[in-house]
Amino acid sequence: MIDPKDLVPVDPSDAGKAKDFLKKNGVSLSSGEYARVCELLGRRPSTVELHMFNVMWSEHCSYKSSRWALKEYLPTDAPHVVLGPGEDAGIIRFCEIAGKSWCLVMAHESHNHPSQVLPVEGAATGIGGIVRDVYCMGADVIGVMDPLRFGDPDGPDASHVRDIALGVVDGIAQYGNALGVPNYGGETYFDASFDDNCLVNVVAFGIVEESGIIRSRVPEEAKNEPYDLILVGKPTDASGFGGAAFASERLDGSSAVEKQGAVQVPDPFVKRVLAEAIRAMLRYTRENNIAIGFKDLGAGGISCAFSEMPEASGFGAVLDLDLVNKAFPDLLPEVISCSETQERFAIAVPARLTDDFLAIFNEQFEMPRLYTGAGAVKVGRVTTDYRFQMTYGGSVVCDAAMDAITAGISYRREQKEQRRANRVGTRARAAGADGIKQAMLHLLGSINISDKAAIYRHYDSEVQGRAVMRPGEADAAVEIFVPGQPFALAAAIGSHSRIGVVDPYAGGAWAVFEAVRNVACVGALPLAITDCLNFGDPEDPAVFNEFVEAVKGVGDACRALTLFGGSHPLPIVSGNVSLYNQSGTGDAIAPTPIVACAGRLDDASRARGFALKQVGSRLVLLGKLHGDLGGSEYERLFGNGGRAGAPRPDFAFELALVKFLNAAFAKRLVLGAHDIALGGLLVTVAEMAIASDPFDIGAELDLRGADDAALFSEMGGVVVEISDDSWDQVRPLLDRHGVAFVEIGRTVDATGLNATTAAGGFEISMGELRTTFKGRLAEVLYG
Amino acid sequence: MAGRVLIIQFPGVNCEYESLRAVEAVGLKGEIRRWNDAAAAVRDAAAIFLPGGWSYQDRIRAGVVAAKDAVIDEVMDAADRGVPVIGICNGAQVLVETGIVPGFEHGRIDVALAPNKMVGQVGYYCNWVHVKKGPAQCVFTEFMDERPNDPLPIPLAHGEGRFVTANDSVRGHFERGDGVAVVYCTRTGETAAAFPDNPNGAMFAIAGLTNPDGNVLALMPHPERGAWAYQVPRRVGGRWGRSRDGVGTKDLFSPGPGRGFFESLRRALA
Repeated sequence: MIDPKDLVPVDPSDAGKAKDFLKKNGVSLSSGEYARVCELLGRRPSTVELHMFNVMWSEHCSYKSSRWALKEYLPTDAPHVVLGPGEDAGIIRFCEIAGKSWCLVMAHESHNHPSQVLPVEGAATGIGGIVRDVYCMGADVIGVMDPLRFGDPDGPDASHVRDIALGVVDGIAQYGNALGVPNYGGETYFDASFDDNCLVNVVAFGIVEESGIIRSRVPEEAKNEPYDLILVGKPTDASGFGGAAFASERLDGSSAVEKQGAVQVPDPFVKRVLAEAIRAMLRYTRENNIAIGFKDLGAGGISCAFSEMPEASGFGAVLDLDLVNKAFPDLLPEVISCSETQERFAIAVPARLTDDFLAIFNEQFEMPRLYTGAGAVKVGRVTTDYRFQMTYGGSVVCDAAMDAITAGISYRREQKEQRRANRVGTRARAAGADGIKQAMLHLLGSINISDKAAIYRHYDSEVQGRAVMRPGEADAAVEIFVPGQPFALAAAIGSHSRIGVVDPYAGGAWAVFEAVRNVACVGALPLAITDCLNFGDPEDPAVFNEFVEAVKGVGDACRALTLFGGSHPLPIVSGNVSLYNQSGTGDAIAPTPIVACAGRLDDASRARGFALKQVGSRLVLLGKLHGDLGGSEYERLFGNGGRAGAPRPDFAFELALVKFLNAAFAKRLVLGAHDIALGGLLVTVAEMAIASDPFDIGAELDLRGADDAALFSEMGGVVVEISDDSWDQVRPLLDRHGVAFVEIGRTVDATGLNATTAAGGFEISMGELRTTFKGRLAEVLYG
Repeated sequence: MAGRVLIIQFPGVNCEYESLRAVEAVGLKGEIRRWNDAAAAVRDAAAIFLPGGWSYQDRIRAGVVAAKDAVIDEVMDAADRGVPVIGICNGAQVLVETGIVPGFEHGRIDVALAPNKMVGQVGYYCNWVHVKKGPAQCVFTEFMDERPNDPLPIPLAHGEGRFVTANDSVRGHFERGDGVAVVYCTRTGETAAAFPDNPNGAMFAIAGLTNPDGNVLALMPHPERGAWAYQVPRRVGGRWGRSRDGVGTKDLFSPGPGRGFFESLRRALA
């Protein structure tokens, strides 16, 4: 029983007083939500319980605004899915080798608000958090990706924007490099709508044998013998207290400094040692056939991990917060139980073996010696009564039925279809062929299209020795999956913030199709996606409508991609929703669903990068030479000349395209493929020529059949390089799959890009292409 | 062949598994041992491998804490007995901090690995570069198939990889080529003059230093990440860059340019 004097001293029936009390105590729950907590518990909550509910009912943890839409619109099942959304990460069957089933683990999160407030720490703990989600499935982490959005580097807030961009890149590098997890790349996009609210999404990939998957739940064996609960990792401190609630609030200037304490503190060294100790622990459990539960501590810290893990299998738990290893002596119980100190895991083990488990961390890997206060401690035990109890200083500070804790909360927010103003460029473009050339060069050198090497050279893309294709080489990263075996993982990102502004539904579909095209462009079969849905304030009906439309777009695109026989969709196996992303003045960020796609190559030797390979090949556009300019980078710079529509998704084409590319790569008929994304067709071909360094293969294009808009439209589609020898086989394959195509030119060695358009011809040397493409990202970041 | 290549896992290193695979790829036996469980194995090892990573979190200075670890006494004894020792990246930083390399005067620490000096880039840097054999012989290069000026593409990834010394006599040694076992070079094999061919601004474009006996190598680039053909990016150019075009499945795992360092070790031990 909790001592009545330890209960929150506010009657829920007095909404005004409750509201003041909650606000004064830094609790984000509304007075109505507070009343609901009291109703579920049958009494007022203790301070610890109040903070627990505050975390669990945050948007970040509860998905209270978004859950219904995700359930209604997103397909999550396919024959190869082992574990869909719901646990820390999604898992799919990837390949079978000598009777062993190897699985891919995928997780995707955002760390937007923390990165805005403390860029280095925020971004680093983004990586730190997402890899924990993968480790705790029993997997090895084999890669991360990071889609990023920053504000306008030349806008009114330029110096702040640049500081944030540099800090985020630094944080990602510091964490991932030290952890020894390769960075597969990502994407970086600058737009004024992110001036006050950057986006830092993080994706992690892992590998696990199917028989070695560990669930985030207390095993059934706990019915037959006593189980203890172990906390392992860094000593608990006050960092990240209120982190999940913070991630679910509007970020305004005044709170930014106050909220720095809500950002967690990263330590990749502790994580690296933990990862090795966990490897030793998993070997020990496998060899001795011991069932355990294993979960990472993320949002809500101890209170969430140690309640969810037993709850998931119908158990309860008793924890003694005095046993927790702490960084400082005088932490309040609500801080111990709810802080989000990084680099910690929860483990449920048979009580008879607790000492063996503790020894792995504390003796074999000497964690207490390597980091003061770190290590493994027994903090409690599993019970069978389906209650969650915590004690502190001999008093009960939490005593709730599991049903109350997991009852959850949901809202059906209002929607209103109201598209926002699309900021359209007004810069004048010169007329004729020269105008096209200048516009193309301008795009190629613009911050969103030019070379991102200044960022990705900062990340270790080589560690673990799996890399087949890295950033800058291909549309997707290609990585050997099981060392010594030809199977490869292809991983890529898709998203388009500006199309989302014009048409959120198209933006959602585009994100899926771009990620999928990228994977298909290296010859891989797309197997699954994850999504992170970054939007503004869901309480604003116009913003919430953008969210729902984008979710529909994501779902419809997945359902259209029936790649696995029958009508199975491309499954979404994990994801995250990040809301309340907006400027200090309340303008929502551009609606930004970001999709990560994982695909499989049965034979990595079939993968091709997009560099032009040899002189005299055919360059073929898969798709049509037409399109509008709504949402394009061209429109941002030069306006759309009345061609304001966003690309409308062509579901049948996208499916046919993937099937064709898979068939053509399987027969090694494609020398290279590059999807048409930011900048449009001309920029795409220029990038293929630039990437041919040092062999220097250029392109000669005949685009007389295209209007100006088609040269710059971001309609999707793919440019492929095909040798004359292969063309005889490719041609019928295109017809068989019903893929529309246009022969647009040839590869040459005399120049970089030589194009004939309806308005006349122009030529750009390889040197000029390369110099232009270098752009100014390095200067923006490093000054 | 008796004995194993012992890979020492200090807390915070992160290249131990690909290092093991690279050793095994040439037919040597390898073993990973925790730092606090390695001393006896070091005494029996045929060769010792300090892999890359962040030993002890680079506290104080990269490599320095591991260099004072008890197990390093055993490594130094082994090195004195002529046992081959290779340290890659963080492992090289550890070896430099022990003074085993360049070792012109026994036990004296003469060289540091300073922060990278680059153009248009700051801090940690990851890319493929080219190296060639330097003038000094060592067991990890001596028995390679490559000739002295053959450029070898190789990946690197570090923030502090610039070999420097403040000691004029050591500088004089380097100038004469003493200790200089591996050198950054251009695609065509000329010694690197500037960034990006010399990726960190190392003195005399030094990528790897050996000791006077030639049994120890402190190497900043990562041959274990370039030990298979599939790893080589096309943009390294030349023969290796072309080697990826039109290959079949079996070619994926044929030797990459980094394999030679381990092949040389195998031949030295045979």
